[in-house]
Amino acid sequence: MKSNGLHISARQDFIRRGGELIGRSLLFSVASVSAVAVLFIFYFIAKDAFPFFNQEGYGEFFTSPNWYPTGHPPEFGALAIFFGSALVTTGAVVFSVPLGVAAAMCLSDILPFWMRQIFKPTIEILAAIPSVAYGFFALVVFAPLLQENGGFALATGIWIVGLPVATIGVVVMSDVITSMLPFRSKPAALTLGLALLLEAGVILTLFKTSSALYGMEISSGTNALNVSIILGIMALPTIVSVSEDALQSVGRELREGSYALGATRAETIIKVVLPASISGILAAVILGIMRAIGETMVVWMASGNAARIPTPFYNLLQPVRTLTATIAGDMGEADHVTGSSRYHVLFAMAFCLLLFSFAMNLITEAFTRRYRKKLGK
Amino acid sequence: MDLRTRKLLDKSFSALGVIAILFMALFLVVILAPIIAKGSGAFIFRGTVEYRKLMFDIWNRGDEKALAEEMQIVAKARKPVYEMMDDFRRELAAMPSSERRKYRRALNDVEKNIENLLGPNPDDREPVLMRQRYGQTRWDMARKHLKDVLYATEWDYSGGMGVKVYVPRQDFFTGTSIEELFPYIEENIDAMMAPRLTLYLRFLTDDSRDSHFFGGIWPELLGTIYLTLGAMLFAVPMGVIAAIYFCEYAKQGLVISYLRICITTLAGVPSIVFGLFGLAFFLNTIRVSESKSVLAGSLTLALLILPTIIRASEEAIMAVPSTYKEAALSLGAGKWRTVMTVILPAALPGILTGIVISMGRAAGETAPIIFTAAVSVGKALNLDEVFTNPSPALPWNIYNLCTEHEAVDQIRHVQFGMVFSLIAVVLFLNITAIVVRARVQKNLRN
Repeated sequence: MKSNGLHISARQDFIRRGGELIGRSLLFSVASVSAVAVLFIFYFIAKDAFPFFNQEGYGEFFTSPNWYPTGHPPEFGALAIFFGSALVTTGAVVFSVPLGVAAAMCLSDILPFWMRQIFKPTIEILAAIPSVAYGFFALVVFAPLLQENGGFALATGIWIVGLPVATIGVVVMSDVITSMLPFRSKPAALTLGLALLLEAGVILTLFKTSSALYGMEISSGTNALNVSIILGIMALPTIVSVSEDALQSVGRELREGSYALGATRAETIIKVVLPASISGILAAVILGIMRAIGETMVVWMASGNAARIPTPFYNLLQPVRTLTATIAGDMGEADHVTGSSRYHVLFAMAFCLLLFSFAMNLITEAFTRRYRKKLGK
Repeated sequence: MDLRTRKLLDKSFSALGVIAILFMALFLVVILAPIIAKGSGAFIFRGTVEYRKLMFDIWNRGDEKALAEEMQIVAKARKPVYEMMDDFRRELAAMPSSERRKYRRALNDVEKNIENLLGPNPDDREPVLMRQRYGQTRWDMARKHLKDVLYATEWDYSGGMGVKVYVPRQDFFTGTSIEELFPYIEENIDAMMAPRLTLYLRFLTDDSRDSHFFGGIWPELLGTIYLTLGAMLFAVPMGVIAAIYFCEYAKQGLVISYLRICITTLAGVPSIVFGLFGLAFFLNTIRVSESKSVLAGSLTLALLILPTIIRASEEAIMAVPSTYKEAALSLGAGKWRTVMTVILPAALPGILTGIVISMGRAAGETAPIIFTAAVSVGKALNLDEVFTNPSPALPWNIYNLCTEHEAVDQIRHVQFGMVFSLIAVVLFLNITAIVVRARVQKNLRN
């Protein structure tokens, strides 16, 4: 039977449908490569991680701070390493979250459109710089600087951050306190006096702290502080762009409603926009944490790589060692002893990292979904 | 709260935001400025006569006659140095033994430093190592070594902590025939080194010699190019096809949401874990090659950038107005044909932007290639060797040169040059992407 172009025979129809089915399943199989990859990553990391736990047990790895993988007998206590990862990540978050969220607010609500167009590429370029370049900067430029002028830099930093923040706090405090006093009209002189008094206290405290910091000797520039700052800078682009997305997704209506009630811009952002987008901002923070904890080169090059818990534990000026740096640094030596505990312990660490980032991912996903739902998108 | 206070708070809040953004811009400048400033020093610097000699000896570059003439002039300027040292040696031989020992040690120090600065004594045998065969090739390094010739470094422990002090060697040798040597070197260093502004663009395409003491970064650069292109070769087709599937074919359902979670998970896996996976899977399990290889590294990097490419392509496809698609379908085109002839061309600029950005990412990643592809020292590979051989790569060698190299301080210019080249590549890719995207957005708005 000949086809005349319009009529489709049963056979052609079959071929066409079959072809489409095959095409679809081909497309599906390519699309699921990433899913297969995730499964494979979990499987192959776990496969090499569990021999370690079988050989050495769980107790020492998670509770002992003694990391002597080459000793006789070897000790595989990774507590100090876990702590190092946690410490630098916390430092990075403390550094980058306030800065990043403030920048996101400014980008989404305060700056005019054309300025936003200028600053967005800046953020992208900050995100594009390779981690090894950050590491190089941390090790070759920043570490000597920190070692020689660290005390001065810290003292200046305290003033730059502390003074404006504390001053704003003082103004608010004095205003609130005087309005609580039983006067009919608020006496301006009293408010002013109170503010000056509090401000004097603030300056005194700052002065004491900064002079203590100024006199401090920093024995090595490759320490947790250095790494925290650089990791913070690396996490900034993620935090800014994700939280800006979250802030933007809060519609105009909410903002306009707030303005109509007489709120200032700051009050609108803090009391209306921020609560509405809080899950998105939390997602941004978590993504920032993931970026910081998974980063290898910077910590490997500039953290000092000393596997012990600093004394006191919050001392950022001592060298630390992180999970990623341990994996990167030890695998070169453990590579030719494939099969030994020393090889498998690195996979155990990678497995912990993997589980952590997976959990964080699920949480982020839940948060993002929640704020999308809340805003009806 | 008082109205004035509220206004003040509002203003300071705005100021806070602006300051935060300015800080970010500042970080960018602070990080890039030293890298660009010092990195360009690998390309443009004041090269000494030693540099020209080296270039001629290794690569046969430069004018032989001019070089010979220059060498003569320089040798003439250097001659008194060697003569003075010879004189002093003779004087030394005549000294009583206790004096002799004291001066002998100091003289050895001077000889070593002068050799460092000017190269080996012309009468000596040629040293084995290339780095000992030449003096300082760069004027900035020559200045540093000049200081070592003129001053001895000592540590002063009188204040508890050790403090570095520089003691002029001339004072030590006062009253001997070598005393005049130091002012002579200081005054005639220009004539002895003949510094001249040099443009060394071939830094990018020269092999390194004597473990990066001399030469360029071509093996590293080529390794990075191979790795990046290899990764794109695997990741781009997979990523774009996956994006087409998700946008045009997939129906919302359990499987698709599972796939999406997998993609975000893949995007969140730390890069070092990718490296371990590449080692455990590509090298130890399916054995794509006997040892580390560019192929294994490319595959690992491809997995790393796959989520980025999928997301970017999806966004670009979504951004194509649905009227395009409807028009094509109403003209009787099948789904596949619609995708290939209408949607993909319209989404192409967006997809390309995503590809270019992930190229930058692949070029700069270090952790995934440590165990799968990178070696510290190696030759530039031919194309057919990439399946079996490991290669040096820019990111890895930056790490290697600034932490594990035997003379970290002496090859700073190479390190900075490498970082500069890497950043230049990555930034070039990203700026291209930014510009392309701005164009596309403008077109869409019109």
